[in-house]
Amino acid sequence: MVDQLPNLGREAEMLAIMGMSSIEDLFADVPDEVRMKGPLPLRDAQSEEEIIADARRLLGSNVALGERVSFLGAGLYRNYVPAAVFQLITRGEFLTSYTPYQPEVSQGMLQAMWEFQTLISELVGLPIANLSLYDGSTAAAEAITCCVRVHTRKATQKDTVYVSELTPPDRMSVVENYCQGAEIKIKLLRHNPDGTVNLSSAKDAAGSCGVYVEQPNPIGILDGGLPLLKEIIGEHTALIVAVQPISLGLVEAPGAYGADIVVGEGQPLGSPITGGGPIYGIFACSQPYLRLMPGRIVGRSIDVDGKEAFCLTLSTREQHIRRHRATSNICTNETLIALMGAMHMSLLGPEGLHDLAVRNMAACTLGKQKLASIEGIHLPHASSHHFQEFVIEVPGTASDCLAYLDSVGIVGGFDVHRWYADRPNWLLVSFTDQTQANQIELLAEHLEVWAADQGVTA
Amino acid sequence: MSHLFDHHGAPGQGYAQPAPILPASSLVLPDSLIRKSAPRWPRISEPEMVRHYTWLSKRNFGIDTGFYPLGSCTMKHNPRVNEVIAQIPGIADIHPHQPEHHLQGLLSIYHEMQHMLEIVAGMDQVTLQPVAGAQGEFTAVRCVQEYFRLRGEDQRTKVIVPDSAHGTNPASAAMCGFEIVEIPSRIDGRIDLDALRAVADETTAVMMITNPNTLGLFEADILEASAIVHNVGGQMYYDGANFNAILGITSPGLMGFDAVHFNLHKTFSQPHGGGGPGSGPIGVKAHLADFLPGPIVKKRPIMDDEAKHAIDDMWFGWYEPTHSIGKVQQWHGNAGAIIRCWAYYRRYGNGLTTMSQHAVLNANYLRHVLHREAKAAGVGDMIVDGAETDVAKHEFTISLGPAKESHGISAMDVAKGLLDMGYMAPTVYFPLVVPECMMIEPTETESKETLDTFARDFAKVLQVDAETLHAAPITTPVRRVDEVYAARNLCLRHPYDDD
Repeated sequence: MVDQLPNLGREAEMLAIMGMSSIEDLFADVPDEVRMKGPLPLRDAQSEEEIIADARRLLGSNVALGERVSFLGAGLYRNYVPAAVFQLITRGEFLTSYTPYQPEVSQGMLQAMWEFQTLISELVGLPIANLSLYDGSTAAAEAITCCVRVHTRKATQKDTVYVSELTPPDRMSVVENYCQGAEIKIKLLRHNPDGTVNLSSAKDAAGSCGVYVEQPNPIGILDGGLPLLKEIIGEHTALIVAVQPISLGLVEAPGAYGADIVVGEGQPLGSPITGGGPIYGIFACSQPYLRLMPGRIVGRSIDVDGKEAFCLTLSTREQHIRRHRATSNICTNETLIALMGAMHMSLLGPEGLHDLAVRNMAACTLGKQKLASIEGIHLPHASSHHFQEFVIEVPGTASDCLAYLDSVGIVGGFDVHRWYADRPNWLLVSFTDQTQANQIELLAEHLEVWAADQGVTA
Repeated sequence: MSHLFDHHGAPGQGYAQPAPILPASSLVLPDSLIRKSAPRWPRISEPEMVRHYTWLSKRNFGIDTGFYPLGSCTMKHNPRVNEVIAQIPGIADIHPHQPEHHLQGLLSIYHEMQHMLEIVAGMDQVTLQPVAGAQGEFTAVRCVQEYFRLRGEDQRTKVIVPDSAHGTNPASAAMCGFEIVEIPSRIDGRIDLDALRAVADETTAVMMITNPNTLGLFEADILEASAIVHNVGGQMYYDGANFNAILGITSPGLMGFDAVHFNLHKTFSQPHGGGGPGSGPIGVKAHLADFLPGPIVKKRPIMDDEAKHAIDDMWFGWYEPTHSIGKVQQWHGNAGAIIRCWAYYRRYGNGLTTMSQHAVLNANYLRHVLHREAKAAGVGDMIVDGAETDVAKHEFTISLGPAKESHGISAMDVAKGLLDMGYMAPTVYFPLVVPECMMIEPTETESKETLDTFARDFAKVLQVDAETLHAAPITTPVRRVDEVYAARNLCLRHPYDDD
């Protein structure tokens, strides 16, 4: 028995009005050769009660990070999101609406997204933001194809972009998939042993279409050299900076040091990790990129009475108008999650953002102090600046170390070997506003045990 | 009006935070890294913030507020238990990089969804990675591209799409680097096999098509179309945007397709959230399975020490296909959306056929009563079917061409008139092949009474004089919005006084 169908049991009545006698009449145009024979070989329908019981059993068998002590980040971070965000987002007027094709009855979401654009614009220091892409990786990929569209005509290195060699392979893979169709050449931007960008080799990127870097970078380092990059690569090469948005409560906005496009994983603002999605990608840019950028944009306008009103604008870039000449194929995006981001940003305010950034960095700094003092644990970038995560080099492999920590109830971090083949013993440990001092103590204690067990004596 | 940026309250009023675990003064950053000026965000307290967003929500139309017959978008009811399930910590608070033994519940649900989608689509392997329909299209066309590259068929540089296709089809294929060949539809809105034969050749990589097509018509010649494309060595791609019409009735596999994407958010009711999130898994026949992006979930019987983490004595593991194109999103797809769609699937199980039957029943019923009521009101000649057909599938089109000609009333005018009657307007001016087109998709979750009332109200709108309709809507939060003004006087963010 299924529910959710208001006309169940009324089929005959409705068919009779149409002059039909059977549901089959409605499918008379589907040729017999393509008809599915027999019922679907699937399980029986369940009631709501049974579904929720199964969901609790299956999802309950997952290890939620809140049940453990967790230092796993590596691109997704567990920040506290205020309750009001979750309550407001359940309002059906937001939740069950779709792309605001009819602006007169969609002013709420349109205005909220125009406000989101403003919040992001202020956050990153650039004048223009769209209302989200799928995630940080697709935002990076779209930024790279966008900068090629804008610059390749005048570039001396045509169709070429330089991407930080530290970019994790799973993010790089997305970039490669998005770039291959436009035959974009991806060259690697070199880094120094301390994890910062090698500024002298960055000169090679001058005359290309763009440079992609991350701040903090994938292994958690804040690179004091990035503000020098724009001058090195020049006006006609786009500087694309991917950010962890919360870090911008303390760290300089990329727009202030010449970034042309800023992207990032919006998730820490407004959204739980949710297994990696739905989250939202941030995309902001300066004026020269506006007409070739991807995604939906809201503009402020007026109605026929001259009253303030909002609507989607610059749609001629988009697939439903421009078809195969569109700047991107994106249609459905992550608006609702971006709305959660806007709500979180509103509640934070500038001082709240600063405080949140401080809490993240404070936890990281305490973690660095504690872990650096453990015999046998080495911090390869100890003298660098970190926002919320850093690498420790462990005795044995990171993978075995994580398994040990797991056995004592600690999700110890991310095995960097999954990114870089030459780093079997790098563990990326992450800290957020939720990290407690006693949790750091616990991690330190067990890392000490691990190191000792590996034959490193105190 | 409520404006977020008019709020300049006391700092930190939004929500108080605990003190940092080290004092801020102990944090060290060099001057080159320190932010010099704070973002000019509002300072708003929770009571004001809740009121602001509640006010905004009241200026927004959703399925919950009224009938939403937006063609091609499948705006069906979103069961609320799905939202409750998505908040369980075992989905909301899990990280994709956690080890497999932390995520057996999630993986088992992924496996169940892969299996279900393989069955309803008649495909051999599904991946849940793509996060939206357009991304699914892109992913599948990329897989076909790599398949041909591996076979040394680099000359296949063209993708064929009908002129009635969704805009994402040509956009996705172009992003992969293919040349787009558009073929005209027949006068009745269906695929023109002669036009297809004329363009299909050894340079054809893929034909992308949806069935039922964007006019809501079933392409009865689909097997012939598949044969034409396969005979020249090309691949058939099924755009799953209209899948709601065919579950348990037919399948892309039976129709000869090699690859398909699903708009899970449409067919399986992930709330559309004002524009997203979505979920766009793809399914392929065996010959394309090695090219899919991972991770894909495979299951096997448990080994010795796995029992304590296992579900029903099976082990679920991530798997990467041999020739995978790599990733199209960094993580494991929109897991939270997939969970909601899983809950929706469980609600129907093998009764998914009934769901599609009712979607088609409602569309045909609405089509019938719409014409009936228009005739009864004496305005029947203002609308004609977008395409001649005995039956439609889950949606149908009408043309306001006659209304435009005789009364100067456009599809847009009628759309705005419907807003005044308390409805979301149907999709207008798509597909492009129908003049003054309205594309109407009621979905299976609307009652007969709603459809009857809508039909009568639609006829009432047709009776309104042109001048009044040009001025519609008048009852909405704002009246007709000047989109040209918005484009000519770009204002894409709050204008600060000190800018």
